[in-house]
Amino acid sequence: MKNSVFFNFLFLLLSKHKSKHIAIFIISILIVFLISSVLFISNSLKKEVFLTLDNQSDFIIQKINSGKILDTPTSWIEDFSFINGVKNTQQRVYGQYYFMPENVYFTIVGVDLFEENTNKNLKELLKILNISDFLQKDSMIIGNGIKKIFDKYHYFDSYDFKLFNNELSNVKIFKDLPKEANLVANDLIIMDINLAKKILNIKENESTDIVLNVPNNLERQNIKEQLILKHSNIRILQKETLKKEYENMFNYKGGIFLILFIIVIFTFILILYQRYSMISSSDKKEIGILKAVGWSIKDIIKLKIIENFIVGFMAFIIGIVISYIFVYILNAPILKNIFIGFSNIQNDFILNPNIDLSIIMTLFLFFIIPFLSAVLIPVWKIAVIDANESMK
Amino acid sequence: MIKIENLNKIFNENTKREFHALKNINLEIKNSSCVILKGISGSGKSTLLSIIGTLLKPTSGSIVVENENIAKLPDLHASNFRAKRLGFIFQSYNLFDTLSVKDNVSIALIPLGFNQKQIDEMVLKALELANISHKKDELVYNLSGGEKQRCAIARAIVNNPKIILCDEPTANLDYDNSIIFIETLKILKNLNKTIIVATHDPIFDNLNFVDDVINIKNGIICE
Amino acid sequence: MSEIFLSNEIIIYLFTQIILFILLFIAFYFSTFIIKNWNYEKTTSKQYKLEKTSYLVILIIFFTLIVKIFLFPYFAYSLDNLSHIIPGAMCAAGVIKANNYGEILLALKLIILFCIGVWLIINSLDLKEKIYPYTKRKFAFFIFIFALILIETTLDILYLSNISTKEPVMCCSVIFGVNSTGNKIPFDLSISMLIGLFYLIYLLTIFTNIQKVQLINFLVNLFFLYIAYYSVTYFFSTYIYQLPTHQCPFCMLQKEYYFIGYFIWSTLFLGTFFAIVSFVVPKLTNKDLNYSFKYSIFFNSIFVFLCSFYLLRYYFLNGVFL
Repeated sequence: MKNSVFFNFLFLLLSKHKSKHIAIFIISILIVFLISSVLFISNSLKKEVFLTLDNQSDFIIQKINSGKILDTPTSWIEDFSFINGVKNTQQRVYGQYYFMPENVYFTIVGVDLFEENTNKNLKELLKILNISDFLQKDSMIIGNGIKKIFDKYHYFDSYDFKLFNNELSNVKIFKDLPKEANLVANDLIIMDINLAKKILNIKENESTDIVLNVPNNLERQNIKEQLILKHSNIRILQKETLKKEYENMFNYKGGIFLILFIIVIFTFILILYQRYSMISSSDKKEIGILKAVGWSIKDIIKLKIIENFIVGFMAFIIGIVISYIFVYILNAPILKNIFIGFSNIQNDFILNPNIDLSIIMTLFLFFIIPFLSAVLIPVWKIAVIDANESMK
Repeated sequence: MIKIENLNKIFNENTKREFHALKNINLEIKNSSCVILKGISGSGKSTLLSIIGTLLKPTSGSIVVENENIAKLPDLHASNFRAKRLGFIFQSYNLFDTLSVKDNVSIALIPLGFNQKQIDEMVLKALELANISHKKDELVYNLSGGEKQRCAIARAIVNNPKIILCDEPTANLDYDNSIIFIETLKILKNLNKTIIVATHDPIFDNLNFVDDVINIKNGIICE
Repeated sequence: MSEIFLSNEIIIYLFTQIILFILLFIAFYFSTFIIKNWNYEKTTSKQYKLEKTSYLVILIIFFTLIVKIFLFPYFAYSLDNLSHIIPGAMCAAGVIKANNYGEILLALKLIILFCIGVWLIINSLDLKEKIYPYTKRKFAFFIFIFALILIETTLDILYLSNISTKEPVMCCSVIFGVNSTGNKIPFDLSISMLIGLFYLIYLLTIFTNIQKVQLINFLVNLFFLYIAYYSVTYFFSTYIYQLPTHQCPFCMLQKEYYFIGYFIWSTLFLGTFFAIVSFVVPKLTNKDLNYSFKYSIFFNSIFVFLCSFYLLRYYFLNGVFL
């Protein structure tokens, strides 16, 4: 039965029933577009964040006192580096600087330009740096969001940071970061570590926290215990735990979306069911003719299901293509902010195309199965019409 | 041979609108014969035709065609029987207006599982026999009444059926086209097909190739 | 628990299951009517209506089978993804063992697939006959399948809600590994004897399939299934992963191994399915199914070929066995 006559007939039927299918077609495209955009954005973000996270050190150690995080003494670095299995113990300096005119916070990251930085992200950013030029005068590298703000207030060459003792510290703007780094570095200011300590009011022999690597993952539990033995008033953050939390957060946001979408899909199913259950008299006549000519109920069911499937499938393909263009070429104007939040500084980050088969399969299941389910009973209703009555 | 025994059809049984359309019909139609079912509208001849064509199921009774009771066949087998052994011609043609003549005729062959080449051959043969092959790519919408009926004939014979059922075939045709229709019936009779025509058109009286005229009135066969 | 339920794949999996369940419930509802009132001999309009509803039930079951066939590997895939947020799990094996319901659920899903397959074969036999002789039996069998699916859906929810994201689970090297205390090879066979038995039973299945002895073929194939599971998990999988200590039936479903796991398990499943069907269907319908013997041989052979392929490939590439 699968020959060109059948398909010819099928396509002619499709165009004949255009008015019936067109509304469903458009709604389907919209639904597929929305949900695939959400999934694409969420997936790309996830991959980016995980890539960034992967470049972090395995352990982050912070000093706490009665639940509050305090600056960590740098003398602890030596203590920790003596533990067997620990590598690359370093201090980290970072903090928030309040910029009153815009009511936003800048994140300042202090970098020791002479030591090998374990954070691969920072390494990448600093590769292109000419260190001697940078250190000639107090300089900083700023992220895109900050550049925009500085430009707005006409700070083109340098900016005066207000220190805690009410002095001003003039820092030259050395370079701004490329737009591709926006996801992680939008509101970042990178400067020399001692300058950062000065601006953030951190003592010279302290740091914000200490990071270290434990290459052998079987030893991690053991080393965690030894760290606590050395200094008991600490909080330890493990990269793996952070990863899980991020994964959960993404799942959470994506999950809430999906659940909302399920409500949309249920409504859609009801609409589909209603629409295709309306059998016009010309439909009945068509089925009557087919039956008289020798088509069995099975044949008619096959015909109708393929007809509806093509409508759904085409809508699916078009929806995904439009969504791809929207997310990866137009950069998803409003939608992406739902994931990042309109929080601190306006972030114009770029999403990298990152789709694999499993997302497409997931979308396919999520859309086509309800679509076909809604269509089953109407198709059956049409197929069992009494041929005799419809042709009177 | 078609043997009909004690056929009854009651519409809307056990309701207020109960209507006894056919009452105890007993009939025998020999192979390759041409039979006219004569009766006014509402006499039950269309119902009888539909039941013979397995488009309607009887309330009781049997129809035996070549040792098989087709009255109660389940859908799969009934449609198989229709596809292989039956051809229908209706009063209002019942064609797909938006398809071409060729496509309309091909539809009858789709359930039989032929490949494209075979279908094309058979369709061409049928179109020639019905004398409409010159309009094979024309949309049915643009045809005249007589041409539509010829297209319907082509569709009815494309699957080489043994039995051809016609329900008031000339009701929408003018005199000339009706004559053409009857000529075509003659050709089909010569091809040894069993033809049953349900009609009250007087043009079918006194035709020499008609073997039997059966009068139906109020659901009963009268003489 | 909410983390599990908010994982994207699990949401979609449950959503699809629920839709299928609703459809099947409708089919169940109509089946009860059909079983009560079906009488082919009668010619009342009620009987004709029943015939029409039976087509609806058949359509729904057809659709359900196709979707469930897709849903089963998708379930395995979503469990695999869950392993990212469950401590200690590195593939679906750990996730399945997270609580008691996991293994039963997996087995039940397979049984349901089997039953639906058998149902469809009986259905096609039924429709071929002009008097639809097996209808009542068919729909009673469907009600049994529906009960199974009811249990499956409940188990789904129970299983998923009892996976803890705080307690670590065992990963496959602990469950199946060389030093495991878990499932041991049956009859305390050594690996080489197990493999010898594997190929021997395979040849025996070919023989019984050719001879078409239904009962013995059925039993031999079941035994083959049992032995094949252990052979793949403890022997052939090491050649797929090319690591003598990595013995796991689930890891081969992952992308790194080109998803070969799906092919291996599905061909084994199909081979056994056709062998079972060649015994069960004649019992229910008094009709012999000669073609199923051939299919059983075909799929079993592909299965053995796939397993042996990895074995031989390793040998030819490296010159030694693991």
